[in-house]
Amino acid sequence: MSRIFSRARTRIVLQVLVLLMCIPYQAVAADGILVGDGRNHAALNVSIAVFDPGVPADMSLHRDLQVFPQIREIEAMFLPFVLRETLARTNAWGAVRVIPQPNVAAELLVSGVILKSDGGTLELNVRAVDASGRVWFDRAFAGVVTDSYATGSNGSALPGYQQLYGEIAESLESARAQLDDKALADIVEISLLRHAGQLAPSAFGDYLSQSADGMFSINRLPARDDPMLDRIERIRGAEYVITDAVDAKFQQLHSEIASIYDLWREYRRKVIEYQTEDARRVQRTKSSALRGSYESLVNLYDNYKLDRITAQEQNSLAVAFSNEVGPRIQAMENRVDELEGWVDTQYAEWYRLLEELFELESGL
Amino acid sequence: MLRKSITIVLFLLIAACSQQPVINDEMIHLDGGMPVNFSGSWERNYARDDEVNAVLRDAYNKLIRTIPDQHHPSGPGIDASTSNKMNSLRALARLAELITRPDVLTISQSEHEISVDRKDDFAMLCAFYDGVSKAIENDNGIEICGWDGKQLVSSLVLQGGLQVTHRFTISADSQHLRVVTTVSSTTSRIPFTLRRFYTKFRRPTSNFNCIETFSMKRVCSTTEIKR
Repeated sequence: MSRIFSRARTRIVLQVLVLLMCIPYQAVAADGILVGDGRNHAALNVSIAVFDPGVPADMSLHRDLQVFPQIREIEAMFLPFVLRETLARTNAWGAVRVIPQPNVAAELLVSGVILKSDGGTLELNVRAVDASGRVWFDRAFAGVVTDSYATGSNGSALPGYQQLYGEIAESLESARAQLDDKALADIVEISLLRHAGQLAPSAFGDYLSQSADGMFSINRLPARDDPMLDRIERIRGAEYVITDAVDAKFQQLHSEIASIYDLWREYRRKVIEYQTEDARRVQRTKSSALRGSYESLVNLYDNYKLDRITAQEQNSLAVAFSNEVGPRIQAMENRVDELEGWVDTQYAEWYRLLEELFELESGL
Repeated sequence: MLRKSITIVLFLLIAACSQQPVINDEMIHLDGGMPVNFSGSWERNYARDDEVNAVLRDAYNKLIRTIPDQHHPSGPGIDASTSNKMNSLRALARLAELITRPDVLTISQSEHEISVDRKDDFAMLCAFYDGVSKAIENDNGIEICGWDGKQLVSSLVLQGGLQVTHRFTISADSQHLRVVTTVSSTTSRIPFTLRRFYTKFRRPTSNFNCIETFSMKRVCSTTEIKR
């Protein structure tokens, strides 16, 4: 019996070793101060989750609110990437990645909800939370596209709403400036320990405690040469490779649909301008015909008709936009699903093996 | 939800104040699915249509009968007031003729919406969500529909007291459609009603599969197009 058990143990250990050998041991080792002190803790890794499209569940409101659900879904994937590019350009952060789902163990998690996007105005509610549970901010940002932005004639070559993304980047930096080195170092450690706690709760479950308000604090730290921690970091490295592959897919999507999206946004902006001008025209032509005359009746009918035809045209073009970018979105989602599926499968396997390994090593 | 209720109540009030309230609270509520399926392509059957001038003559006679001491339409005894009323009625008739001019209607119907596409005009839209008709409004008017038994009734109330109502009825074999359009205004004592008849037809099928795209407009292929 004990021989069988011993053989099983050996097989498990061998499986783990083979698995961990497959995972590249890379720069991640320098990420956490538990295994290396060379890292600049202010340069936190930032994970930007795909935004909430902000589509009301009540379908009857979509027309009134000028919400095109399919386009909002696309924007929810597209806009985080613009923010990612803005943050990356500042060189003020570590790795900045777009991720399909929020990861609570991220050093800094940025999530957003699209409140309004009509080509002329973009309103986002953005929330930034670090791994310790500290909310950096949770507020709305609004940007208006001006002519110079829309046409690029300001020579900046920056996309529309760049000011909005710039404000978000500034807010993140301002919030970070409120934190001292110790707090920033804690964020990095807590992120690693939360991640470790998710993968191997038996081994890392008691390193952190959580207060009633959801904040995490460090109870104690594992030894710097803890073999379990080393494995966790190797696994995290493998996850980062996948996350970067997913991020590359978002980058590809962005480059593929950016020009079409800009056209759509420009069209929506022109529609708003047209509607404003048309409202003025209605006022101008209101009383020119005798009340009750044929001309007067036709004028009343035509004013309504023009508004409705404009709205219909917008709906048709929204469908045309979805038709055009739909296959690209689908291809990207399929690839991301494959990558995420692989991670999920591996995660379950890593979880099981690490728990067994901890049991074997700790003799519990 | 509150806004929706206010809109509908407002519409019903406007309709009640006009000469002929056509959609009541009962009609805008729908239990279960749509009672009739109108979807398909419909072409005008001119042979059965009302003749505008004949309807207008009848309307004139009806108008004259409502006015004391007036017996002959457009006769020498008509005073200025009556003449104005007749002009108003003629304006309604011309508008009704204009609105009902399209010779083809394309109706698409889903679980929630009925859309009636007409050439050179906006598509009439009838939307039901959560069993309640959803009004469409813009700065110039408000449009709402309802079911009166198996008849679909669409009513448009415009600024200036103008109201346009369409009543759709389908034949038992679903091959014929009647649309009764009534135009009324606060400037005319009596409304003007025209009947148009349509017959269902099948559009020829194409060898091409086409989709509308945003930057390339219509794209067609002989094979299936991925969406």
